[in-house]
Amino acid sequence: MFFPKRLFIIAIIQVLLTCFVIFLFVSQEYRELSEQSLETLEEFLIEQKKQELVNYTTLAVSTIIPIYKNKKIPLAQAKQQVAHTIDNMLYSGEDGYFFAYDHKGNGISHPKEPFRVGKNWWELKDINGERIIQNLIANAQKGGDFYRYTWFKPSANKPLDKLGYSVYLKDWNWMLGTGVYLDDVNNKLNKLQQSIDSHIYKTQKLILFIAILSILILFIFGLLVNLSQKKKTDKKINELSQRVIDMQEEERRRISRELHDGIVQTLVSIKYSLEATGLFLTQTKQDKPQPLIDAESSLGGAIKEIRRISHHLHPRILDELGLSSALENLAVEFYERTNIEVIVTKPAVRKLLSDEINTTLYRVVQESLTNIEKHSRATQVKICITTGKDGLTLTIKDNGIGFNTKVEAKKKTCGIGLRNLAERVLYHRGNFDCTSSNKGTKIIVKIPKSHFNSQKSQTADSNKAIKRDKA
Amino acid sequence: MTTQKSNYNEDVITVLLVDDHPMVQSGLSACLSYYPDVKVIGNVNDGQFALEKALELQPDVILMDISMPTLNGIDATEIITEQLESSKVLIFSMHNSLEFVTSAIQAGASGYILKDTSSEEVYYAIKAVASGKKYYSSSITQMLIENPVKQHTGKLTTREQLVLSHIAKGLSSKEIAKELAISFRTVEAHRRNIKSKLKIDTLAELIRYAVNYGLVEN
Repeated sequence: MFFPKRLFIIAIIQVLLTCFVIFLFVSQEYRELSEQSLETLEEFLIEQKKQELVNYTTLAVSTIIPIYKNKKIPLAQAKQQVAHTIDNMLYSGEDGYFFAYDHKGNGISHPKEPFRVGKNWWELKDINGERIIQNLIANAQKGGDFYRYTWFKPSANKPLDKLGYSVYLKDWNWMLGTGVYLDDVNNKLNKLQQSIDSHIYKTQKLILFIAILSILILFIFGLLVNLSQKKKTDKKINELSQRVIDMQEEERRRISRELHDGIVQTLVSIKYSLEATGLFLTQTKQDKPQPLIDAESSLGGAIKEIRRISHHLHPRILDELGLSSALENLAVEFYERTNIEVIVTKPAVRKLLSDEINTTLYRVVQESLTNIEKHSRATQVKICITTGKDGLTLTIKDNGIGFNTKVEAKKKTCGIGLRNLAERVLYHRGNFDCTSSNKGTKIIVKIPKSHFNSQKSQTADSNKAIKRDKA
Repeated sequence: MTTQKSNYNEDVITVLLVDDHPMVQSGLSACLSYYPDVKVIGNVNDGQFALEKALELQPDVILMDISMPTLNGIDATEIITEQLESSKVLIFSMHNSLEFVTSAIQAGASGYILKDTSSEEVYYAIKAVASGKKYYSSSITQMLIENPVKQHTGKLTTREQLVLSHIAKGLSSKEIAKELAISFRTVEAHRRNIKSKLKIDTLAELIRYAVNYGLVEN
């Protein structure tokens, strides 16, 4: 079974989808959480600021109270003294100051913006269109409250978000106010927001990395599964095809035998019957009729033809006399057909191998000779069978022009027959090697000793025969 | 001895047919029945029974097919000629390749004719072989002229190979003779043949050769 491509794609889509959804959820959750914490922080910081403002204001009021409540000091002088005190009450560097307006919006004291003193600012609006002074006075008259607006920040030299607090000096109808700029709060919040964003970005990268990694792992896994499956199926296919060849060879052997031992023998018997008829006629002093003569000769032709077919299907000599004799015979046939000399070197012993191996090796030689005849332009072929410690070695060597083994393997042209045979040899756990140069081609096939026929059985068979003879 | 007698006294030549195909046997028997000086005295359909019957009937000529179910004609010929010197074996086969012919000759056959030869030629072949001559079909004669058989070189016969495997197992000639039911002399002859064919002199080398070719298990 292959790891199907479609399944693989589905898996990748699944991974991508999961990663995407996780990413969405995580970043959403993160954002919500961060927004919550930012809000909390903002509230906390502003609460702190408010506390500060109340404290400062309480302090300022208690500073001016002695003059404000002192009935002995003339009112105008007292007011002047208080305005002066307010001007001098600074805190938190440049940006912490107090200011005072009367209930009609006339400027009384403003240490940082002295031009406001003596003028009416009742209608003063900030960038959002809020009437700042009116609101501050209203808050003060309510008994003191906070108010957010935009005002010019001295240290930053530009209008910024400010939280103001104002109280009312009832006796004089004055509004006393102060404020803190909120930009540092905003800065803090911004920084936090940035760090949260970078966190989200990091998570994003992490998820992306995990996604890629998963896909990669999936890919490699799929590849490995595919490879091993391919190996397995290849092996199975090869085994199957080899078994098909086994069956084919067996079938050919059977048909060949059937032709040779059945039909041909029947024809031979018919031939002798016809001859007997002829002999009978001769004895009774009659001439052989022409149809009888014709029948005899065409019967002879039929016998030859069927024998040729039988031999072509499977050489009987292989079964009867073994491989080396069959090769010798093949060499003679080949020489008669092509005039290419074949020298067979063989051991003195025979019938060492099983029928299947014999047939395979015979086919190897047959195919090699066909290739030699077609392509090699060789004038001589040497076929050599030797045995050693490891087993049997069959060598087929020609003196032809050779071929490029790699190129031929790629082109899959003339090599295909040999490749099939190589597979066949491998199937029999043998070893196939083909080398070629411009001086000729050499094919070496090795069959391990474990494939040799056990001589015991042969011996036992022969002995049985003899024992029977004796009995 | 019998052959000579039959020849000079115009006695009938006795023939044993060894062929696994009954129709061929009967067809050929029918043909040969027209020749008064040849008589088919037995039919056997396998090499295994051939020796048995040959020992029993002592025929002058054994007409031997090669392809047979259990023991093929060539191996049977070797065993028969080993034990029955009076009977001549004439191979009567479908196979016309040189390897079969040389194997048959090495096994001790006196002649080799093809199954598609006419009955007349079969008759002449039987007569020739019975008289102690060799007889081959014309196409085979041609082959033999081109590739003469060298008796003492080349392949071992099945029998020799068997003897070699017994030698390698450590059996003495006497034991081998007993085992194969042949005479001590024959075993010694095989031994000589094996040594000369393999060009080996010593027993140790013979054993090593046999082991090398898997004739005996290590």
